[in-house]
Amino acid sequence: MNGFSPATHLLLVIATPLIGAVVAWVLGGRGRSAVRQSAAVTAVITLVNAGWLVLRYLQSPEAATGGGYAVSSAPWLVGGVFDVRLSLGLDGLSIWLFGLSALLSLTAVLVSWDAIKEKPVGFYVLLLLLEAAMLGVFAARDVILFYVFFEFTLVPLFFLIGIWGHDERRRAAVKFFIYTLTGSVLAFLGLLTIVLWNASHTGVITFDIASLTAGMAAHPMPMSREGGWLQMIVFLALFAGFAVKVPIVPFHTWLPLAHVEAPTGGSVDLAGVLLKIGIYGFLRFSLPMLPDATAAAAPWLFGLGVVGILYGALVALVQTDLKRLIAYSSVSHMGYIVMGLFALEPVAVEGANLQLINHGLSAAGLFALVGMIYERFHTRSIANLGGIATKAPWLTVLFMLFTFSSIGLPGLNGFVGEFLILAGSFQRAWAGVAESFRVPYLIMAVSAVGGVVLGAWYMLWAVERVFFGGSREPPRQGAAGHDHGHGGHSHDAHDHHAGGHHSAGQEGHADRCDLEWYEIAALAPLAVFVLWIGLAPATFLAPPAAVLRASTRGATTAFNASMRAIDTGDSPPQPAHVTDRVVGHDHRASRQPRLLTSELTLDRP
Amino acid sequence: MQEFSPSTLLVLVPLLPLVGAILTVMLGRTLGAKAHLPAIAGIAAAAAVAVMLLAATARDVSPAHGPHAEAVRPVEMISTLWKWASFDAAYTPPEGSPATDARLTPRDLAASQDVRSFSIPVALRLDPLTATMLTIITCVGLLVAIYSTGYMHDDPGYPRFFALVAMFVFSMSMLVAASNFLLVYVFWEAVGACSYLLIGFWFTKPEAARAAKKAFLVNRVGDFGLAIAVFLLWMSYGTLDFHDTISPDGVIMPGILGQTRLADAAGYAGGAVGTAICLLLLLAACGKSAQLPLHVWLPDAMEGPTPASALIHAATMVTAGIYLITRSAPLFAACPGALTMVSIVGATTALVAALIGTVQNDLKRVLAYSTISQLGYMFASLGTGTLLGFTAAIFHLLTHACFKALLFLGAGSVMHAMGGVIDMRRFGGLRRVMPITAATFFVGAAALAGVAPFAGFFSKDEILAALHAKGWPAAHGDHHAMAVAGGPFHLAAFSTDATHATATAPAVGLDALDRPETWQILFWMSLVTAGLTAFYTFRAVFMTFTGPTRVPEGAHGHGGHDGHESYESPASMTWPLMILAVPSALVGWLLFSTNWLAHFLSATPSLTAPTVAATATPHVFHMDLAIQGTLAAAIGIVIAAIGHLGRRSDGPQLERFLGPLQTLFANKFYFDQIYSVFIVRPLEALALVAALFDRYVIDGTVDAIAGLPVALGGIVRRSQSGLLQRYALAGVMGVLAIVVLLAWQLRG
Repeated sequence: MNGFSPATHLLLVIATPLIGAVVAWVLGGRGRSAVRQSAAVTAVITLVNAGWLVLRYLQSPEAATGGGYAVSSAPWLVGGVFDVRLSLGLDGLSIWLFGLSALLSLTAVLVSWDAIKEKPVGFYVLLLLLEAAMLGVFAARDVILFYVFFEFTLVPLFFLIGIWGHDERRRAAVKFFIYTLTGSVLAFLGLLTIVLWNASHTGVITFDIASLTAGMAAHPMPMSREGGWLQMIVFLALFAGFAVKVPIVPFHTWLPLAHVEAPTGGSVDLAGVLLKIGIYGFLRFSLPMLPDATAAAAPWLFGLGVVGILYGALVALVQTDLKRLIAYSSVSHMGYIVMGLFALEPVAVEGANLQLINHGLSAAGLFALVGMIYERFHTRSIANLGGIATKAPWLTVLFMLFTFSSIGLPGLNGFVGEFLILAGSFQRAWAGVAESFRVPYLIMAVSAVGGVVLGAWYMLWAVERVFFGGSREPPRQGAAGHDHGHGGHSHDAHDHHAGGHHSAGQEGHADRCDLEWYEIAALAPLAVFVLWIGLAPATFLAPPAAVLRASTRGATTAFNASMRAIDTGDSPPQPAHVTDRVVGHDHRASRQPRLLTSELTLDRP
Repeated sequence: MQEFSPSTLLVLVPLLPLVGAILTVMLGRTLGAKAHLPAIAGIAAAAAVAVMLLAATARDVSPAHGPHAEAVRPVEMISTLWKWASFDAAYTPPEGSPATDARLTPRDLAASQDVRSFSIPVALRLDPLTATMLTIITCVGLLVAIYSTGYMHDDPGYPRFFALVAMFVFSMSMLVAASNFLLVYVFWEAVGACSYLLIGFWFTKPEAARAAKKAFLVNRVGDFGLAIAVFLLWMSYGTLDFHDTISPDGVIMPGILGQTRLADAAGYAGGAVGTAICLLLLLAACGKSAQLPLHVWLPDAMEGPTPASALIHAATMVTAGIYLITRSAPLFAACPGALTMVSIVGATTALVAALIGTVQNDLKRVLAYSTISQLGYMFASLGTGTLLGFTAAIFHLLTHACFKALLFLGAGSVMHAMGGVIDMRRFGGLRRVMPITAATFFVGAAALAGVAPFAGFFSKDEILAALHAKGWPAAHGDHHAMAVAGGPFHLAAFSTDATHATATAPAVGLDALDRPETWQILFWMSLVTAGLTAFYTFRAVFMTFTGPTRVPEGAHGHGGHDGHESYESPASMTWPLMILAVPSALVGWLLFSTNWLAHFLSATPSLTAPTVAATATPHVFHMDLAIQGTLAAAIGIVIAAIGHLGRRSDGPQLERFLGPLQTLFANKFYFDQIYSVFIVRPLEALALVAALFDRYVIDGTVDAIAGLPVALGGIVRRSQSGLLQRYALAGVMGVLAIVVLLAWQLRG
C-alpha cells in the first residue's frame, strides 16, 4: 500500500538526522534560532517517519513472529570464506527501542531550546549525529554495523558532556569515555571470537547476527575445563562492554558523574536510550549465543541486579543534588531490569524488556524536568530548592507523574515492568531453582520488593523538599543578568504563596515560571506513553514476546538443566542441549525429570 | 427490560466519577467557584447507580428460609473489560499446590504439572459485598463532596480538591469491584496515591507535605506485603482471578475465589504457605487500615482537609483492609493461626489506639485514634473466622462509615467556624452557637460510644458476640461454634511446601494460638476498649460543646436569632450532617432487627465457602453481652462527665491522674520514636555508608586504575579549537556513506 519499501523507509529514517545535521551545520551562520529550528524540524520528521515505520511493522506479517523487517543488506566482502554483509533491519526486540530513540531525540532537542547558548551549531550537529547512531544501533543486523553505531553513540556524547557540560565536565567526559571505551573494546574482542569460532565450524566468515546465533546454537563454545571455559571467557568479555553500559553495580560510577555534568539534552539521551544498549546487547548476543555461560552466571547477575536495586536506592537516599539522585535511581532501576533478565523466566524477561522502555520514558522525563528546574533556579541542590509547586504547577504535575511512574505506581508504566519482573523472579525462586538455591533466591526476590519501598522513599523525599513546603529562594550565584529575572527583592517565605497554586499567577511575572510551549512539547509525548503503557501493557508486551522467547530459550534451558542436576546430584550438565534448541521443544518440558536423558544429546566432538 | 444491563451499570459506578474528575481538571479554571459541579454530578450519578445495583443484587439473593440461612446460593456477576496482559507458557505450577489438584480442574487442565498461560483481565465483579461497599463509598462520597463546597469554599485549590475526591471515588470503587488480585493491588496503590495527594493538599504547609510522604511510605510497607502475597497466590493457585474463567476451548480455570474452588472444602492452601499468604495479606491490610504496627500514618494524615479525612481516612479507604480480608475469607479459613493473628492485631490496636485517644486534645486526632480503634474492632471480628464475625465486621464498617463521617464532618464544621483552630482546649460550650453541629455530633458520638439504640451499639454488640462465641463456645450451646473452637476445620488443606506434601493437617506454630483462652482475652480487651471509646468520645463532646462558651480569636461569627452570635456553618455543610445523623441513629437497629445485611452478605461467594458457611449461627440478640457492653459504655461516659461535663475545656484535666501513663499515651506509645531509632536512622546511616563507599571505594578504585585521564583530557582541549567540527563532519559523512551504500544495494 505504501509507495516505498520498508527497507527504504528504514534507511530514510536513519539518514534524516544525518541530513539534518548537515543542514544545521550549513545554517550555522544564521544564528542560534535557525539552527535549533532546523534541528527540531529534523527530529520531528524523523519521529513521524519512525513512528510510521513502527506502525507499518506492527501491521506486517513479520510482527506476529517477531522476525526481521525492513531488511536491507549490502555485500561488503563476499567470496571464498568471506560472507561479510552490512545489514540493517528491525525485529520485535528492537522495534520499541528504535521508536523510543526517535521519540527521545526530539525531547533532547526541545529541552536544549533555551539551555544551549554557546556553540549551538556543534551541539545540534552532535545531537543529531547521536540520534542517527542510536537508531542505527537498534537497526543493525550484523556485528560490524552494530559495533560501528555502538561506538558512534559514545563519541558525540563524549563531546556533548565535555563541551556543554557543567563545572566538572572534563572529568566526567573522560571518565565516561574511558569506562565505556574499555568495555566496548573488550566486547568487540568477544564478538570477534564468536565470529571466528563460528567460522571455524561453518567455514564461512560472517558477521550476520542471525547466522551467528544459529551457528552458535549448532556449535556451542565449550563450557568446561577441557575446553578452557571459552564460552565463559567470551561471555565475560561481552559482559564488560554491556555491564558498563547498563550500568551494573559496581561498574556504575561513571553514570552519576556523567549525568550531573551532562547538558540536559545529553542526559535525556543517555538515560533514555544509551543505557538500554547494554541490556539490548545481552539479549541480542550473550543470551542466545552463549547460553551455558549465561546460565552459569545467571545466579550471580540476578544477585548483582538485586544489589544494584538496593545499593542504588540507598545511595540515592543521601544525595543532595537532584540530578545525582535521579542518576542513582537509574542505577536502582536498571538493577530491576538486570534482575528480570537473569531470572531467565519468561514473565520476568518480558517485564525487563518492557521496563527498558518504561525507564527510558520516566528517567528521560525526570532528567528533562531537572534541567528545566536548573534553568529557572540555577541550582539542583535539594536543600536550596523548595515550594516550586506554587511557582510552576505544570512542571510539578509532570514531575509528579514521572515520579509516580518511576516508583511504580499502578496505572502507570513503571508498575507493569516492575510487577512482571518481580512476579517472574518469585516464580523462578519458588519453583525454578535447585533446593539449595531456593532460600537465597527467595531472599533476593523479597529484598527486591523491599527496594520498591526505598524507591518511594527517596523520590517522595525529593518531591517533598523540592516542590512542596515553603518557597525557598535559592542563593543567587551570579544570577544578576540571567533571563528569568528573579529580581533583586527577597521574598518572605510565607506571604509569598499563601494559597494553592492558583494564587501564584498573581505574584507577578518574576515568580511565575511555569513550562514554556517547547518544554510541554518535549514532555507531553512521554506522558502519553507513561499512561498508555500503564493501562494497556498488552499492546507493548506482544511484539517482542516471540523474539524474547527465542533469545532466552537456550539460556533458560541450560539454567533449568543445571538446577535439576544440582537437585539430582548429577555432574554439572554439559552444553549442547541441541535437540531442545533446534527443534524448539518448549524449554519448560525440560523441567520434568523424565525428559532428562532424552534431552541431553551431546553433539560436541 | 430495556434499561441498562447490570454489567453496564457496574462499569458506570467507577466510570462516572472518573469522567467527573477529568472534566474537573479540564474545566476547573473555567468553572471557577462552580468547579465542584462535574465531580459532584459524577459521584451523585454513581451513587444512584450503586443503589440500583444494591437493589438488583438483593433481588438475586435467595430469601432466608427460617432462622438458618445455610442454603444461601452465591451471587456474583463478572464483567470483563479488556485484557491487561497475557503470557503464553508463562510458568509451571509447583508440584502439590492447589493449582495442580485434578479435582479442581474439570477437564484435566491442571492435572499434571504442565505449562500454563497466564493472563490478567481487567474484570469487575458484582456481589453482595461489592454492592454494599459501592453504596457506602459513593453515598458517603457524595455527602462529603457536597459538604466540601462549603468547607473548601475560598480555597485556591478548589478545583484540584474536587478532582482528587472524584478520582478517589473512582479508585475506591474499582478497588472493591475488581475481580482480580492484581487489579486489587493496582487500586490499592491508586487510593494510596489519592490519599497522598489529599493529605498533602495544602502542600505549602511542611507538616502536610511530610504527613503525605509518611502515609505513602508506611502504606508502601503494607503494599510490599500485598505484592508478595500476590506473587505467592499466583504460584499457589495459578491465577489471580477471583472468579472462574473459561478458556476459548471450554476449559474451566478455577479462580481463587471462584465457585469451583469454593465448592471444594480442600481447595485452599493451609500450612506454611497458606499462613504466609494470609499474614502478608494481613500486613497489607494493616497498612491501609492503619493497624498496629503500621498505624502511625493515620493521625498525621489529619493535616489534610477535613472532608478528605472524613471520606478517605475514616469512612472508606481505611476500610480497604477489612474488605480485603473479608474477600479472602476462604484463604484465611484454611489458616486458623493467621486468623487468630488478625484478631490479636485488631483487638490490640483497638485497645492501644483507644488509650492514646483518651489524652488527645486535638479533636481531629481524637477521631483519628478512634478510627484506628474501631477498625481494630472490625479486625478482631474478622479474625473469628465465623460467618457472624465477617458479617459483623462489615456491619460495623457500614455503621462506622456513617457515624465517623458524621463526626469528622462535625469536627470540620467546628474547625471551619473556629477559624482553623481544632485544639479542644481553645474553645468550649459551642452547643449554644453551633446547635446543628452540636446535635448531630452528639448523635455520632452516641453511635460511636455504643449507646443503645444508636447504630454503633448493634454492630459492636455483634462483634462482641462473635468474639464471645469463640471464647466460650459451650455457653453459646451451638455445635457449629464448638466445632470451630475445637479446631477441626483445619480441613486437610494442601501444603505447597514439598516437605509437607504428605501431611494431612499441616500444623503451623501459629495455629496453637487458636484456643478459647486467647479468645477470652480478646473479648475482655474489646470490652475494655468499648468503655474507653465511650470515655474519649464523650470527653470530646463535653470539652467541645459544653461548659462556658468560648471561641478562639480569629473566629468570625455572624448574627444569630437569639442575641448570641452564631458560628453555625452554612447549609451546604449542615445538611450533610443532618442527613448522616439519620443512618447513624437508625441503621443499626434497622439492619439488626431484620438481619437483612447479614443474610445479604452471606451470599457473597467468599462467604459461601463451606469453611465459613458452616459456622453460621442463628440470629439472636445476646442480652447478656448487650448489658456488658452498655455497662462499659456507661462507665466511660460517667467518668468523662465527672471530668469534663460543664467544665472549662482548658482547665485541669482528669487524665493527670494517670501519671506516667499519661505521658506514655500522650506520646502515642513512642511508636514514631521507635521507628525513627530502629528503622529510619539505621537505614539512613546505611545509606550514608553506601554513598561513602560508592565515592571512595568503588569510584576511588576506578580512578586509581585509570591513569589515562590526563592524556585524554588533551583531546577535549584540542577539540574546542576546530577539531570538533571536522570530527563531527567526518562522522556524519562516514555514516551517510554506509546508508547510501545500503540504499544502492537495495535498488540493485
